[in-house]
Amino acid sequence: MKKLITMMAIVLLPNVAMAETYDEVFEMNRAMYGKGHTFSWEGKEYSTNHPEEIEASVEATKENADALIAKAKAENEAAAKVGFEWKLTKGIIKDAEAASAEGDYSKALTLAAQAKYHARLGVQQQIDAEKNWHLSVPQ
Amino acid sequence: MRIIKNLTIGMSLIMGSQLVAAAGSGTTLDTVNPEADRMALRSYYQSRFPDSELSDYVNGIYAVDADSRSQWEELEEFPPYEFDVEEGERLFNTPFANGKGYADCFENGGIGIRQNFPYWNKEQGTVKTLEQEINECRENNGEAPLKWGKGAIAKVSAYMAWTSRGKVFDIKIPEGDKEALAAYLDGKEFFYTKRGQLNLSCSNCHLQGSNIRIRADLAGPALGHPSHFPVFRSKWGELGTLHRRYKGCHQDSRSKPLDMQSTTFRNLEFFQTYMSNGLVVNGPGSRK
Repeated sequence: MKKLITMMAIVLLPNVAMAETYDEVFEMNRAMYGKGHTFSWEGKEYSTNHPEEIEASVEATKENADALIAKAKAENEAAAKVGFEWKLTKGIIKDAEAASAEGDYSKALTLAAQAKYHARLGVQQQIDAEKNWHLSVPQ
Repeated sequence: MRIIKNLTIGMSLIMGSQLVAAAGSGTTLDTVNPEADRMALRSYYQSRFPDSELSDYVNGIYAVDADSRSQWEELEEFPPYEFDVEEGERLFNTPFANGKGYADCFENGGIGIRQNFPYWNKEQGTVKTLEQEINECRENNGEAPLKWGKGAIAKVSAYMAWTSRGKVFDIKIPEGDKEALAAYLDGKEFFYTKRGQLNLSCSNCHLQGSNIRIRADLAGPALGHPSHFPVFRSKWGELGTLHRRYKGCHQDSRSKPLDMQSTTFRNLEFFQTYMSNGLVVNGPGSRK
C-alpha cells in the first residue's frame, strides 16, 4: 500500500507542479482581481499588470507613443512570421499611428499596448499550439 | 534501495505513458498514419452520432440534424446552384482564344474527375487542387487566371463536380513519399491547431463542435466536408469555392487569413479530402 502511494505520488507530482506555473498563477490572479493587484509566486511579489500596461503607463509624449508603436509592429511581425498574426492587430497599429500623428499620445499609447498584447499572445499561441495540437486528434 | 526501485518504477510509468501517447498520436512524420487517422475520424462520428450513416456525411450538418435536413431537402427541390452548373458547362465548353479548351487540359476531357482532386504532384513537390489546375489550364493557353473564390472559377468547378457526382474519393498519399506525407501532416496540424484571437481550431467547430450551436448556426461535421464544394451558400447568395470557405473560417477565428490556394490551404484540403476517402462527390451543394 505504502509502495502504491509512493508511486502514485511520483506519477502525480509533475502534474501538481505544472499547475503552479507563473503564467497560471498570473492568469488566475488577473481574472480574479484585474490589473493593479499584487500576488506572490515562489516567495516573490508580482503585479497582475500585463507588460504592455506597464509599458503604456509612461508619460504621454510622441517619443514614448512612437516607441511603443514600433515595439507593437516588431511583435506583430514576429507573430506573422510563425503564421499566427491576429486579424485586428494591424488595424489597431494603424489607429495608434493615426492617434500619434494627431497628437493624441495617450490614445496612441493605449492602442499600441493593445496591439503589442495581441501580437505577444499570437506568438505564445503558436508555442502552445505546437505542444498541444495533437490533443484534439481522435485516436 | 527501495526508494530507488520505487523511483525507477514511477519514472517508467511517467515515461511509458508519454511514449504510448506519442506512439498513438501520429503527429510526427515518423508516426503519422493517414489511414489510422481516417478510421479514427469515422469511429469518432459513428460513436458521436450512431443514428447517422457514414455515407450521409457528404451532406454535412444535414446528416446529423433532422430539422436542418428537412429545410435543406425543400431547398434542394429547386437547387439554387442549378443555373450556375449550366453556366459552368457553357464556360467549360467555350474555347479559349487559341481554340483549345478546358477539356484539353484534363484527363478524360475533364469529365468525372473531381474525385481525384486534390492530388500529390511528385514532380512539382506540391498538392494540386482542381481550381489550381483550372487556372493553370487558362494560363497555359494564354488566358488570364480567374479569381479564386467565386464567379467563373466556382462555376466551372461546379460543372466538373456535377459530372463527377457519385464517384468515390480516393486520394492517394504515395507510399514512401515523405514530402507527400509532410503535406498531409501539415494539413492535419492546421486543422487541429488553435489560432486567432478567439483561440479556435477548425476541429473546435467541426469536430468537437459538430451539431452544436455557434450563435444561430450549427457547425457541420468535418467528415465529408470537401465532397459538396463548390457550394451555393445562402449567406453568400452565390456559389463559392472550398478555399473561399477556408478563408472565411480562418478569419472567423480572428486570424489574419491565409490566401486562397496558398500551400497550407491546399495541404488542408489534401488532409480533409483524404479523411473523406470512400465517400462520394456530391458537389455542388447548397448550404445555409
